[in-house]
Amino acid sequence: MKAALNFGLLRRLGRQYFLFSLLLLIVGVVINASLQANFFKPIALVGLLRTYLPLVLLAAGQTIVIIGGGIDLSVGSVVSMVNVILVTRMGAEATQSQVLMAVSLGLLAGILAGALNGACIAFLRFQPLVTTFATSSIFAGIAVWILPRPGGSVPESFMQPYRSSPLGITFPLWVILGVALIWWYLRSTRFGRYLYATGGDAYSAYMSAVPVEWIRFFSYVASGLMAALSGLLLTMSIGTGSALIGLDMTMPSIVSVVLGGTALSGGGGGVIGTILGVFILAIIRNIISFANVPSWWQTLVNGLAVMLILAGPGIWALIRGRRDS
Amino acid sequence: MKRRISPTLIALALAIVLFFLGGLIQPGFTSFELAMNILRLAAFLGIVAAGQTLVIISGSEGIDLSVGAMVTLGAIISYGLISKRDDRIWIGFLASLGAGVIIGTLNGIGVAYLRIPPLVMTLGMATVIQGLIFAVTQGSLEGGSAPLLSKITTEPLLFGIPGILYIWAAFAGLMWLLLQRTRYGKNLFAIGTNRVTARLSGVNVKATVVTTYMLCSTLASFGGFIFLGYYERVFLNLGNPYTLPSIAAVVMGGTVLSGGVGSYWGTMAGSIVLTLITSLLTTLRMEEHLRQIVYGLILLVLLAAYGRQRALRQ
Amino acid sequence: MNKVSLSAQHLVKHYGGVVALADGNLEVNPGEVMTLVGANGSGKSTLGKIVTGVVAPDGGRLLLNDREVVFRTPHAARELGIVAVYQELSLVPRMTIAENIWLGHEWERAGGILRDAEMRQRTRELLALFEGTTHNHLDPDLPISALSPGEKQIVEILKALSWQPSVLFLDEATASLDSRQVNRLFDLIQDWKRQGMAIVFISHRLDEIYRIADRVTVLRNGRTVAAAPISDLSKQELINLMIEGGVATRTNGKRSESYAAGEEVLRVESLSTTTLRAINLVLRRGELVGLGGLQGQGQTELLLALFGAIPYTGQIYLYGRPATLRRPQDAMRHQIAYVPGERNTAGLLPIQSILDNLLLPSWKYYGFPLRIRQAQADAMAVAGGGLKLVMAGLDQPVNTLSGGNAQKVVLGKWLLRRPQILLLDDPTKGVDVGTKGEFYKILSDLRAEGTAILFYSTDDEELLGLCDRVLVLHDGKITAELSGERLVHSELVAAAMGSST
Repeated sequence: MKAALNFGLLRRLGRQYFLFSLLLLIVGVVINASLQANFFKPIALVGLLRTYLPLVLLAAGQTIVIIGGGIDLSVGSVVSMVNVILVTRMGAEATQSQVLMAVSLGLLAGILAGALNGACIAFLRFQPLVTTFATSSIFAGIAVWILPRPGGSVPESFMQPYRSSPLGITFPLWVILGVALIWWYLRSTRFGRYLYATGGDAYSAYMSAVPVEWIRFFSYVASGLMAALSGLLLTMSIGTGSALIGLDMTMPSIVSVVLGGTALSGGGGGVIGTILGVFILAIIRNIISFANVPSWWQTLVNGLAVMLILAGPGIWALIRGRRDS
Repeated sequence: MKRRISPTLIALALAIVLFFLGGLIQPGFTSFELAMNILRLAAFLGIVAAGQTLVIISGSEGIDLSVGAMVTLGAIISYGLISKRDDRIWIGFLASLGAGVIIGTLNGIGVAYLRIPPLVMTLGMATVIQGLIFAVTQGSLEGGSAPLLSKITTEPLLFGIPGILYIWAAFAGLMWLLLQRTRYGKNLFAIGTNRVTARLSGVNVKATVVTTYMLCSTLASFGGFIFLGYYERVFLNLGNPYTLPSIAAVVMGGTVLSGGVGSYWGTMAGSIVLTLITSLLTTLRMEEHLRQIVYGLILLVLLAAYGRQRALRQ
Repeated sequence: MNKVSLSAQHLVKHYGGVVALADGNLEVNPGEVMTLVGANGSGKSTLGKIVTGVVAPDGGRLLLNDREVVFRTPHAARELGIVAVYQELSLVPRMTIAENIWLGHEWERAGGILRDAEMRQRTRELLALFEGTTHNHLDPDLPISALSPGEKQIVEILKALSWQPSVLFLDEATASLDSRQVNRLFDLIQDWKRQGMAIVFISHRLDEIYRIADRVTVLRNGRTVAAAPISDLSKQELINLMIEGGVATRTNGKRSESYAAGEEVLRVESLSTTTLRAINLVLRRGELVGLGGLQGQGQTELLLALFGAIPYTGQIYLYGRPATLRRPQDAMRHQIAYVPGERNTAGLLPIQSILDNLLLPSWKYYGFPLRIRQAQADAMAVAGGGLKLVMAGLDQPVNTLSGGNAQKVVLGKWLLRRPQILLLDDPTKGVDVGTKGEFYKILSDLRAEGTAILFYSTDDEELLGLCDRVLVLHDGKITAELSGERLVHSELVAAAMGSST
């Protein structure tokens, strides 16, 4: 009875797009655990979760855009922008209402940034890649404008939740659970369905009365909002501001999506895979630092490992000679 | 059908207007020396953007986001190998080009054979190149530019015009030859326009794609070599600020993002305009971040003018 | 179900200067199956598309229960119960069967959550209609990309059905179904008729028409020439109605009177691809052999395989020697040329100049740097000589040329290569009559020089008028070879429909 149940579960799992990512993550965890004695101790795991939580949100937003057939290169700059807005609007002595104002302002900035991207791409039909590359430059510039030199601080009470553990479960886990739940909800609505249809075959979707342009627009707005939330969490985590803080987050957000089994061609995949993808990246970095790779070699090893994983399916197909064009 | 005015001419006209606008704002902006200096900087951007022009013409979302990292690598390799000696310039030159050939071929193979989207492939490659630089230099850069290299690229050579501008002119001639008078050039425009037609007409599409990315990285690396001549010093991320302008220059020159249309004359004009804008903003004492914002806005305006995609409803 | 009768009166549609529909009339009532028949290019599809809101007419009117209606989008027609199943499918490959069927009219519950379980249940009921006719058991959760063409067609039909149509258009909906599936569809159509649905059935297959139709509307050259109960017409009478002037004018004398078959240039033995099954054929020097049959029976695949553009199994002999064609370059080395009919997607570089299009396969013969003057002279010789291209100059972009001239460019680029074997894939589609004549002249000149030509056309008159022999394909196999006395329209139509009259 129990075996049959497990078998059914396994079969359902076998059909999931993120199966490969899950296996990869498990392999990574095993390697990591063999190198790092205290890996399974709460302190190590919680540390990992806290470090990578902002990327989870960022990559989740990126996933939505990519499923809809687009790409958003501006997410990192939005993180920077929101970070400096929060820090400059708060200061260490901010009152509750000032904090609330700052947070609302930050989220609004993210939504507006997404709306700008979305309007240009969905309605004016600009090419997504270069459009978001351009707006990325604009948002990054605005961030430096707001806070030219790194610094500033936030009230202790603002940072406190990030390190709390409501009901004994660490805060980042609650957030990830929340992201997964919201994603599950979105997937179960028309928006979710139409998102996949738009990214999968925009013309068929259009012929089936799907409002393709609006779906595209809202996918970028969602990404902007998620980037803003990511910036909010990052600020809670580090408590200070820097206009360059999100600069190196765009690339990992895209790589996480791809590692999570969502194809850049759109119309498939999902956020659950992306969450796994973020932690594959995290584990790779963790392994590299615990494998005593000299620090000047870490970027290279990290880059090569990621490229190898990304090229894996292509190399496999080439060897098997199945792909003929 | 309405005939479009050549984007190259528009960009050139814009360059002239900007130049004299600069003169109005700041007397002395229109001096010969300053003009030469702007052209000198434009030549550097123009050489980096040359490869980007090829990649974008090749179509199918072709783009190379690793050019910035490649510029850095080219400069650092040259710096290390030349080590202040004139007689070693050619070693630095050949080695930097060689690195470009290798990296670019890898990019091309990833895109054409492993079917990794150009965006992911070249972004990933940028990280790998950066890692390579860290690993090889261990953070300490030893070497130096050679006096002759700086002399060629910076100082007036003939009629008060710096040597680099003669090099650029010759380079432009070669680019024209490559695009208009070689089989590769013809095949490049063909695959950028319609890959099915190209294949059914006997074009080796994959080989053409690999060659294109190879040329792009090689030219970016060459740009790094030139950079060394200009600044005589290097640092670990010197090329990063040039990725976005390399794309902007191409788009401004009328090369279409969906592929199949473009020219190097346009990219040259685009490079001049962008360099002029940067100089103008500097003259206005506008800070780096505002320049960044203006850059982004310019690119959006360019997209509005040239980069619109087809509507679903026919 | 709403009972709706639909009437289209005197519909007109022009595409540029070409009249696609001159006087289209169609009437269908609740509880009946109206079939729409006509030869290739008679305007069937255009008529169907106007009535279902895809194409806007230039004249005429549409009546729904005697009230005039105007559809601006397919969706507008759907809302009024007029739903179509087109040949081109509108499915999203990565989504599941259930998701596709309900796309655009999902069931929602409070909070916006979709009632997936119920939609899946309803999908299961819909799929049960075709239970047992498919190779795989169709589960609502299967992705479309995992289905065979026939199964996709079934999903497309069920998708239309999910809109609860009052009037259902089936445009060649049986083309990719096997006989079991067709039988099931026909049983279902009988049920739907009883429930009062009006059905318009567009098909090329005569025996199917006789099995299912109550009445038949015949189109010829864009005009409705007859509408009658099917029982009033024999198959022969129906074919005569479809062909202009009946069977009397069978050829128009363009065919060369005598051809001396030269030596064999191409021999194909048991060539198979994913769609073709064991094709055997022989082509001789100076011969013009036609490929006929309904659309999509493997003709294009055969030509592509012979050009090395798609993988195949089996043996190809060229000029008496075995040859392997892995890439188009291999075929080109053997002086084979392929002219696609889909000129914008496969034949041309639309935004490039006439010169660049004409010389694309030939640049390697012009050295480095390319001898442009020589290339221009050669292009001019072809364009001005055999092609008689109407152009402003060699620099003119080909997307500013008329359809006929553009197609001449596609042919012209191979003339420069002096092909020994020329593969033509419906090259005169959408080409005006005058240009067609010039095209035929070029072909006959080529034959005189010894070029062997394999010629697929959807225009029966063309096959009859030009070819020495016609091979008829059906379902990936050559099912008939017509030549001499048997090369007449009635035989061709009968062979293509898979029936013998």
